[in-house]
Amino acid sequence: MVRIVKSTVLNAPVEAVWAVLRDFNGHDQWHPAVADSIIERGYPSDRVGCVRKFHLADGSELRELLLTMSDADMAFSYCLHETPVPLLNYVAHVRLAPVTDGDRTFWHWESRFDTPPGRESELKTMVAEDIYQGGFDAIRAHMGLGGQA
Amino acid sequence: MARVYVSSIIDAPVAKVWAKVRDFNALPRWVPAVRESRIENGEPADKVGCVRDFYLQNGDHLRERLLGLSDYDMFCTYSILESPMPLTDYIATLRLTPVTDGDKTFVEWTAEFECAPELANDLVTGIGTNVFQAGFDSLKRLMVG
Repeated sequence: MVRIVKSTVLNAPVEAVWAVLRDFNGHDQWHPAVADSIIERGYPSDRVGCVRKFHLADGSELRELLLTMSDADMAFSYCLHETPVPLLNYVAHVRLAPVTDGDRTFWHWESRFDTPPGRESELKTMVAEDIYQGGFDAIRAHMGLGGQA
Repeated sequence: MARVYVSSIIDAPVAKVWAKVRDFNALPRWVPAVRESRIENGEPADKVGCVRDFYLQNGDHLRERLLGLSDYDMFCTYSILESPMPLTDYIATLRLTPVTDGDKTFVEWTAEFECAPELANDLVTGIGTNVFQAGFDSLKRLMVG
């Protein structure tokens, strides 16, 4: 079992960041790894149980299921259903918290998954750096925020 | 039920900040409003259930009981047993979380208590500003260098 925890601070109020992140179908608007995304069966993207089907820049297709969504906690969880990348039993949790000192946002992104034997390190680095850290940097650019807080 | 929530970022690794704040008897070393503190009955400061007996700079006397301490989750929960403040059922939690991007620390301090409704705003602002945020500002200074 591989576990990843990545976190950052954004120079924006938590409500503004949550407005972007709570759209489960919005990642193709800001994440550089995601080329396009749709919610299957025409469900709303905040319907718990909905599935987002998306393509990466290289054309590979992934499907992820929304497990939980909370506006009260500013948090959501999702799992990976189908993927050409061997991330097995992948479950991820995203949560935001206000940094009252300066009206900023703390963003916590963590996951657990299994991999084929011997590929733990490679896949851990890919998810942690390309997806999570890359996502942090991309949101800063998308929202027009400065560099690291 | 009144609620206080104050959070900040300390520009130091979480282990370094935790080493400073996990000592339940260390308030005088990082909260400016606290003058002196001792643990009652000679108990260790990380014994869950121990009581800290302390004085503020203005002479106010407080007693607080350690309800929970986790080195794994890096939080500390405590209640007020005695204080001059007009409140009851006060429980507070100080929690640290690592910020991996830049190796910093996210600190959150929450408190919940009961009080007369007309006093709630002043108590929430006073505790949040003079104790919690003042403590964070002090930690920021202490962690430099």
